[in-house]
Amino acid sequence: MVVKKLLLSFPQGSAGEPVAMELIKTYNLDFNILKAFIDDNIKGTLLLEVRGENENIDNGMTFLREHQVGVREIESVIEVNHDECVDCGACTAVCAVDALEMDSDFNLIHHEDKCLECMQCVQACPMRAIRALI
Amino acid sequence: MAKSYAQINEKIKNGDAVVVTAEEVIEIVAKRGIKEAAEYVDVVTTATFGPMCSSGAFLNFGHSDPPIRMSQIMLNNVEAYGGLAAVDTYLGATQPSTDQGIDYGGAHVIEDLIAGKSVHLVAKSQGTDCYPRTEIDTWVDINDLNEAYLYNPRNVYQNYNAAINTSAKRIFTYMGILKPNMGNVTYSTSGQLSPLLNDPLLRTIGMGTRIFFGGAQGYVSWMGTQFNTACSRDENGFPLTPGATLALIGNMKEMDSRYIRGAAYEKYGTSMFVGVGIPIPILDEEMMKFVSVTNKDLTTNIIDYSVQGKSRPTIKNVSYEELRSGSVDISGKKIKTSPMSSLKMAREIAGELKNWIQKQQFYLQEPVTQFPMANTVNGLEIRKAEK
Ligand code: SF4
Ligand code: SF4
Repeated sequence: MVVKKLLLSFPQGSAGEPVAMELIKTYNLDFNILKAFIDDNIKGTLLLEVRGENENIDNGMTFLREHQVGVREIESVIEVNHDECVDCGACTAVCAVDALEMDSDFNLIHHEDKCLECMQCVQACPMRAIRALI
Repeated sequence: MAKSYAQINEKIKNGDAVVVTAEEVIEIVAKRGIKEAAEYVDVVTTATFGPMCSSGAFLNFGHSDPPIRMSQIMLNNVEAYGGLAAVDTYLGATQPSTDQGIDYGGAHVIEDLIAGKSVHLVAKSQGTDCYPRTEIDTWVDINDLNEAYLYNPRNVYQNYNAAINTSAKRIFTYMGILKPNMGNVTYSTSGQLSPLLNDPLLRTIGMGTRIFFGGAQGYVSWMGTQFNTACSRDENGFPLTPGATLALIGNMKEMDSRYIRGAAYEKYGTSMFVGVGIPIPILDEEMMKFVSVTNKDLTTNIIDYSVQGKSRPTIKNVSYEELRSGSVDISGKKIKTSPMSSLKMAREIAGELKNWIQKQQFYLQEPVTQFPMANTVNGLEIRKAEK
């Protein structure tokens, strides 16, 4: 059994639910919806925590893609663009769990697994180098 | 034995100069002592890369045909000052755009120009007999401009304070987001690598000092605004509170957009990260003593930014070493500290300036004149009538 975080994006007009039900049945996967987000009816985004056999998860992901659902395995809901980042440290001021942290040479490091998805770092970054994936 | 600027420049020319950064020099002094180190080292490079709001650019667009005397000027929807001559303007770093607000402001236009991008220029005018055009709408890049130079009225603060918030609400400041109930501390300094902390009495940094400025060779053009050399100092001359500042000038056409970056502080405004490096000539043992300063020796005040008055209380005086350690202790509570300026970029700049000098691409310029050392800062009185 493994647990993975999957970020699903549904194109306009497609219904997420039937596809999700299919996932449970066919691939014997358990999941929690961590976040659901609909962007002005343009596209829907679902952040799932999926539990199951590795192989089943892989097959499930393929199944989703075949149904025009974008799937991406992520560890954290934020993404740091290191080309934009200047390693100032402003984001570390708001991160309560040190998922964003300065190393001993004052480079920014991002421990993806520690992230609590509070999104505070997104607005704290003066370079707008942190993107929210959901 | 004292060294002159001319002697050090001669050594640079011959490729014999010993140049080290203000961090590297600490170890040299620890090993060899002040006297020997002063003879051995010729130049120490210092640097900083942090948000500096008091920044901006003078630009000249050249004349169109027929010409226009621009009075309302927009660059990528950011307003620039129209109160200069026909096609001259000053673009302030903190001016927000009309379409993207603080996320894209004057600083971002400056960064884009330096990066060689073309920028949308829209200007209006009343029209005059000699400047008949009333509107212009065009695109320009930095090569089209006759002159483009940064003139930053206040940069490289000597010993800025650290910030904390004692209120029950989260506050948004130019020192970043401060969590309620003393949830965090932020600071903005390169500490022992910081230019004005390595020459606390401004012996070698004055008007005309040649510097690394945004990737180009620029100059110290004047004392910076809010220049406070009358600040309190420790027994070695290092300021205990914010002290001197510098006005800087440099050619944007020679700059690199890696070292000039637009920034946006949430619910505060646009600012600009400015990369500055200043070489300190080791003229004598006193200068060597100054540049050997460490984060342990330097202190600053943690100020309560939740107090919305002019005199904000000091919560604690701490050393830069404590701030850099990642947490400070305040009344028995461990509080996280976070930097706002980039030490990594400051190190890169100090290294780059060192490279330039070692490669005979950069020579020291002795100041044309020294700055006043007993300058104080006025507040602004609110008066009911003319004085
Ligand atoms: S989203 Fe929150 S927890 Fe995650 S890195 Fe950003 S500030 Fe830290
Ligand atoms: S606040 Fe932005 S630029 Fe600064 S270290 Fe964090 S991600 Fe990098």
